[in-house]
Amino acid sequence: MSDIYIAKEKQEKKPRLHHGRKPSIFTAFAVSPAEVSFETQERDEQVVAFLRMHLITNVPWLFLTLLFILAPLVLRFFPLIDFLPFRFQLMSIIMWYLLVTAFVFEKFLAWVFNVYIITDERIVDIDFHNLLYKEVSETKIDKIQDVTFKMGGVIRTIFNYGDVLIQTAGTELKFEFHAVPKPDQVTKILQELRTQEEVEALEGRVK
Amino acid sequence: MTTFDLIGFLSSIQIWSVVKIFFLFALLLYVVFSFVVIKQVQLMTETINQAELPLRAIATVHFLVALFVFILAFLIL
Repeated sequence: MSDIYIAKEKQEKKPRLHHGRKPSIFTAFAVSPAEVSFETQERDEQVVAFLRMHLITNVPWLFLTLLFILAPLVLRFFPLIDFLPFRFQLMSIIMWYLLVTAFVFEKFLAWVFNVYIITDERIVDIDFHNLLYKEVSETKIDKIQDVTFKMGGVIRTIFNYGDVLIQTAGTELKFEFHAVPKPDQVTKILQELRTQEEVEALEGRVK
Repeated sequence: MTTFDLIGFLSSIQIWSVVKIFFLFALLLYVVFSFVVIKQVQLMTETINQAELPLRAIATVHFLVALFVFILAFLIL
């Protein structure tokens, strides 16, 4: 019997991501980014997702920076360094702005280079804790046991960012992606990769 | 000039020289810090190859500015 009516399958609109494009310095979420590599990456290993903390997490220190920049204006009303000769006062203010520059640069570098990378083989968490101290944690996709994401609060809901918690069977029992954009999609990517690994393992056994 | 005036004058020179030394020491520490930042950026860009901004150039300029301020302080203080 011929079909009377066949409903068209609903096509899910995939969000527009940086698929295949090179992410900019301000990108916090990129899927299959072009021209992204890391130190311990293997030759045929593909980067599936490149993540940072959401841009909005920089607002507190940016606000502090604004206060620091405006701070010397207080000296007009409270002459704290008037006892110094003019040349020392000038140098004090210059040194203050140098310190502000150092603060801004360090905060910016910490945000840019503390990244989470998901490849087709593993997940990598790169942290720079301070000057010249880095910590690189990684685990294979097939070691992942459980993936959960948390997103709560007004700001996080508005800007759509949250934490992704990954339970593993490796040495590092828990990975946490803090304040990453689109945590639901990150979870989905990890689950798809896990499924892929399971299928590859089964196919390997069959073959 | 009386003896008291001379002692006062010499004391004032010494005080500001000491203050100058403190300023120069602080700036020297900052110059060293800015050099370490260059190394930090180098380490970071070797770990993750992604950044578009010329971070190494910015770090180098930052170091040169710190050095310039140090020399300026040496000359004007």
